[in-house]
Amino acid sequence: MKVTLNWIKEFLNIDKLDAAEVAEMLTMSGTEVEKVEYISSKFNKIIIGQIKSFIKHPNADKLSLCRVDSGNRELKIVCGANNFKEGDKVALALEGAKIGTFEIKRSKIRGEYSEGMMCSEAELGLSSESEGIMILDSEYPIGADFASTVGLGDVVFDLEITPNRPDCLSIIGIAREISAMTDYKLTIPESSIDDEINSNNDLSIKIEDTGLCTRYSAMIFEDIPVKDSPAWLKNRLVLCGIRPIDLIVDLTNYVMLETGQPLHAFDRDLLSSNEIIVRKAISGEEIRTIDDSVRKLEEDALIIADEKKAVALAGIMGGKDTEINSNTKNVLLESANFNGPSIMNTSQKIGLRSEASNRFEKKLDPELTVFALKRFNQLLKKITGHAYKNCIYDNYKKTDRQRDLVLRTEKVEDVLGQPIEISRISDILNSLGIDSKINKNNLEAKVPSFRFEDLEREIDLIEEVARIYGYNNIISRPTQLSGNRGKYSKGQLNIKRIRNTLADIGLNEVINYSFIGLKEYKDAMLDREDDYNKYIEIVNPINEDFKIMRTSLLPSLLQTVKNNINRNIRDIEIFEISKVFINRGRLLPDEPQKLGILLSGRAEQKSWTGEERVFDFFDLKGIVENIIGSLYVRPELKIAEKEYSFFHPGISGDLMINNIKTGILGRVHPLIIESMEIDQDTYYGEIDLDIFNGNISGLKTYEKISAFPAIEIDLAIVVDENIKNDDIAIEIEKSGPEILRSIRLFDIYRGEQVEQGKKSMAYSLSFREDNRTLKDNEVEIAVNRIVESLEKKLDARLRA
Amino acid sequence: MSQSDAAIQEIEKKIKNELDSLSADIIDIENINDLEALRSKYLGRKSYLAMTQKSIGTFSAELKPIVGKSTNIARKEIEKVLGSREKELKVLEYDSKMRKDRLDLTLPGRKTESGSKNILSRAVEEIEEIFIGMGFEIAEGPEIETDYYNFEALNTPQDHPARSLHDTMFISDKVLLRTQTSPVQIRYMEKNRPPIAIIVPGRVYRKDYDVSHTPMFTQIEGLVIDKGINFGNLKWTLETLVREIFGSDRKVRFRPHYFPFTEPSAEVDVSCNICSGKGCRVCSGTGWLEILGSGMVDPKLYGFVDYDPEEVSGFAFGMGVERICMLKYGIDDLRLFFENDLRFIKQF
Repeated sequence: MKVTLNWIKEFLNIDKLDAAEVAEMLTMSGTEVEKVEYISSKFNKIIIGQIKSFIKHPNADKLSLCRVDSGNRELKIVCGANNFKEGDKVALALEGAKIGTFEIKRSKIRGEYSEGMMCSEAELGLSSESEGIMILDSEYPIGADFASTVGLGDVVFDLEITPNRPDCLSIIGIAREISAMTDYKLTIPESSIDDEINSNNDLSIKIEDTGLCTRYSAMIFEDIPVKDSPAWLKNRLVLCGIRPIDLIVDLTNYVMLETGQPLHAFDRDLLSSNEIIVRKAISGEEIRTIDDSVRKLEEDALIIADEKKAVALAGIMGGKDTEINSNTKNVLLESANFNGPSIMNTSQKIGLRSEASNRFEKKLDPELTVFALKRFNQLLKKITGHAYKNCIYDNYKKTDRQRDLVLRTEKVEDVLGQPIEISRISDILNSLGIDSKINKNNLEAKVPSFRFEDLEREIDLIEEVARIYGYNNIISRPTQLSGNRGKYSKGQLNIKRIRNTLADIGLNEVINYSFIGLKEYKDAMLDREDDYNKYIEIVNPINEDFKIMRTSLLPSLLQTVKNNINRNIRDIEIFEISKVFINRGRLLPDEPQKLGILLSGRAEQKSWTGEERVFDFFDLKGIVENIIGSLYVRPELKIAEKEYSFFHPGISGDLMINNIKTGILGRVHPLIIESMEIDQDTYYGEIDLDIFNGNISGLKTYEKISAFPAIEIDLAIVVDENIKNDDIAIEIEKSGPEILRSIRLFDIYRGEQVEQGKKSMAYSLSFREDNRTLKDNEVEIAVNRIVESLEKKLDARLRA
Repeated sequence: MSQSDAAIQEIEKKIKNELDSLSADIIDIENINDLEALRSKYLGRKSYLAMTQKSIGTFSAELKPIVGKSTNIARKEIEKVLGSREKELKVLEYDSKMRKDRLDLTLPGRKTESGSKNILSRAVEEIEEIFIGMGFEIAEGPEIETDYYNFEALNTPQDHPARSLHDTMFISDKVLLRTQTSPVQIRYMEKNRPPIAIIVPGRVYRKDYDVSHTPMFTQIEGLVIDKGINFGNLKWTLETLVREIFGSDRKVRFRPHYFPFTEPSAEVDVSCNICSGKGCRVCSGTGWLEILGSGMVDPKLYGFVDYDPEEVSGFAFGMGVERICMLKYGIDDLRLFFENDLRFIKQF
C-alpha cells in the first residue's frame, strides 16, 4: 500500500521528522517500508509558467511558437499542442529538467529555438494518456516550483501491511502507528453532519443475511455536479496508485485510502427503487461490472440489488448500469461492512480483486462506515464550497465488540526475557488507542473496536508492547537447553556419507521437482511395473508437466540428461536423493527415500594418457560398491538378475544387500533412450535409502595379519558363455580348503584359442596359513580339488 | 731411541705421506675410472700399505701389533676418502645422464575428477551442523501432509488464502503437498515432551511459478521449547546462525511482523554485503536483506499438543535455503536451482 508523507502530516504534526526517519520507524514497528519515493525530485526544474503570446511556427503547420513567462524572463518555446490560449498557466520544464529519461535542452526545432517544454499530464507521469498540454489553475503563482504547488512535493512510502492489521490499510492507521513510536499526538478532524442518523423513508436498506453484512450505511447527495477533481486530490490518488476519474469517484477512493473504509457511489436516478437490498445472488443472475464485463454470479456471491436486479458485487466492484456518469445529478453513497471470507471467496472465484475487496477480506471495523461517510461529506463541502442537505441512512446489526484484557507485567518479562516498567507498558498501549489502567502489577486494557479482530489475548498485547518498545532494545540471551545434545540420526548420517562419497568419486548431485507429467512417466515405462505405477495425482496442478508425484527418480533424471544434452553437455554422471511417493491406498502415501544414479556418455575422455571410454554397467556397479563401502560396514552385496520394463532385458537386476532387495540396477531400455532422443547408452540405479536408517549387519572384525607369505596361483578355465562369474567364484570358494584366502578375477578371454560359445576366465587364488609356511603340495592338492569340482559342476576345463 | 722406535716412526711417516699424497691426488679425480686407478695406487697389491701389511711377519713380535694397527687405521681412512669421492662422482654421472631425459612437466595432471554436492544440500548441511553444535536435532516428516498438520494445528484459519486451491496443491480434500515444514514440528511435539530443540529441513510446495517462485523449494524451520525460553533467546540463536552463515562482520536486525503461529513475530534481516548497508539494487535501497521469519510460539499451538503454556515457552523460525544461497553466492536466478544444468552444479 502506498501512502504519502504530506497526507500523514494532516493527522500528525511530524514536520520535525524527515522521510527516512519516518520510514525507519514504520519498518521497525512492523509496517515494512519496501520503498521510499521522493516525488519532488522527479519534477526538478519544472515550474509554473504563463503563456503570454503565441504564433504559428513559420516552418511547421502543427507547431506553435510561444512566449512563456517563467517568472524572471520570457522564454521561447516551440509546442506541438493546440489546447491552450493566452494567459494559460502551464507546467514549464526548463533546461536541465528530466521528462522520463529525456533531458530538456535548449535546441532548434525546425529552425526556431526552443528553450524548454510545456508538459502534458502523460509526460509528467500523472496519467497514462492525455490530450494536449496540462493547463493549470489560474491562481498558481508564476515561476513557483511545480511539484510543491500542485501537491507533488511529497514522499511516497510503499508499505507492506500484514494481514492482521486491516486498520493500517489507511492513512489514519499509519499515522496512529507513527504516533505510538513518537510523542506526537494523532488529531482526527471533527466532521459533523447537520442531520445525523435519520430513518426517514427516502431510502430503505434491507439486509437479508446480517452474517454477511453487519452494517450498511448510506448518504444521498442531490445536485452534485460531476466534474474533474482539483489537482491536489488527483495527484494524491496518482501517488497512491489510483487513477483519477471524476470528483465523486475520486472522493470515494480518497476517503477509502484515508480511513480504510471502501465507499461506492451509485447514480441514484439509475436505481429502480428507493430500496437497497443486500442479498445473495440467485442462480443464473448476471451483472455487468464497471470494467464492462458481464459476470455470471454464483449463488453464494453477495450482491447489492435494487428491486429489479443486481447493481453491485458487494465489496468488490460496482455495476456498469448504475455507475457515476457525466449526466449524474444525484448520488447514493454506500459505506458498508461486508463479511471478509465471503468477499474473498467470491473475489477468488470470479478472479477479480480490488482495493475494496482487499480491505474487506481482512475484516474491517463496522464502526468505520459512518465515520467515512462524514469525511466524504466534509471533503465534498470543502472542495465545492457548497453544503449539501443530507442525512445518514444506517442499517446496523450491532454485535458486542467490547473486550477487556488483563496484562501481567511478569508475563511480559517471561516472554521478552527482560522487565519493562509498568508505566512504559501503559503508555505504549494508550498510544495505540488501547486504553489501559494500572492495577498493582497488572494492566487492565480495553481493546478498541478497530483492533477487535487481532487483539484477543494477553499475548497479543505483549506483542504490541514488544514491537513499540523496539525489538532492537531487547537483549540477546544465550539459550541454555536442558538435557539436549545435538546429533544426526543414524539414517541421516549414512545419507550424508553416501552423498559425500558420490561427490568425491565424481558424481554431481541434481535436484528435480517431485512432480512430473504423465507423459514423462509413461515415456519411462513406469506404468508397466508394480509399485512404480502406484502414483498419486495432484488435483490442481500448476500445469500438466507437474501433475503426478513421481514413483521413481528415473523420469526426472532422464529429463535432466536430455536437458543437458540439449545444451551440448553429453558426459553425465549424476545422482539425486529424494523421496518418491507410492500410493498404498492409505490416507497418506508411502514416502521412501531413494538414491537415483544415472550414467550416460563417456566415463573417460580421450586424453594424452589414454583412450576415451563410455560408461558401462560396471561403472554403475562400482559406484554402488563404493557407497556401500562408505558406511563403516561390509555387508554382502550381490546383483540378482531381474527384468524391469524400463531396463535392457539383458542388463537388468536387483541390488541385494545381505540378501535383501535394496535397489535396482540396469541399462536404460534402448527404446526409452531412442524416444527421448538421448542417443547414448545410459545406465541407471535406484537404491532404497531407508534401509540405512537401521543397523546393517556386516561389521567386519579384525583379521590377524599373518607373518607367513601367501602363495598365489593363477587358474584359467574355459566355460560356457552362460556360466557367470558368481557361479565360478562360489564353486571355487566351496571346493577350496580353508587355506584359500581370496579369489580375484583378472581376465576374460574370448577368441581364437577358445571355441565358439565359450570363454576363458582367469582367476588369481591366494592361499595362506596363519601360523606356518604352506607346503607346495598342500596348495597343489587344493587347486586340483578346485579344478575337479569346476569340471564336474560347471563343465569347465582347465585352459592349457 | 731404540731401533724399533725408529722403525715405527719411519712407517708412520710413510703412512702420513701416503695420506697427504692421496688428499692431493683426489682433488683431480673427475671420473670413476681414474678413481679406480687411484684406489689401486693406494690400496692395490703394489701399494705401500699393501706391501707393508704383507710384510708384517718380518717385524718383531713387539712391533707386529703396532704396525698392524697403524696400517689398518690408514686403510680405513683411505677407503673413506675414496668412498666419499666415489659417491660424489656417481651422483654427478647419473645426473648428467638423466638430464638428457627430461619430462614435460607442463602436461596436464592425471586426476580423479571429483563431482559436486548440490549447492542446496551443501547449504542445508552447513546449517544443520551449526545447529547440531548448539544442541539441536534434525527432525523429518512427510512431504504429503494432511490439512490438519499443515494448517489446522498451526492456527491457520479455515478461510486463510493459503488453504485455497489457488495457493496450495491438493491430493484430495484433506491431503496436500505441504506448504511448509512446520507440520513436522507438530508431529514431533506430539511424540516428544519439552525440552525440545529441533530443526526441520525439507522440501515444500506452493502453487507459484514465475521468475521469482518455483513450485518446490527448500525450507529449514526450527523449534525450541523449554522452561523459560524467551525472545532474548530467539535473538541470540538467530544472530549466531546468521553470523555463522554470512560472517561475523554482518549486522543483524529484528523487525516485527505477523505469522499465524508465532507471537510476537519477527522478520530477521542481515546487512547487505553488496553496498555495506548503504542501499543498493539487491537490497532495494534498504541496506538490509530479509532472510528469516521467526517468533515466540503462539500459546494457542500448545493446545494442539497438550503442553501447558504457563509452564513452557519457546520460539520457532524458518528460512528459505534457496534465498540464503542466492544471497551468499550471488546467484541471481532462482530457476537455476532446479534446471540442473551441470555447468551450474559443477561450480559448487
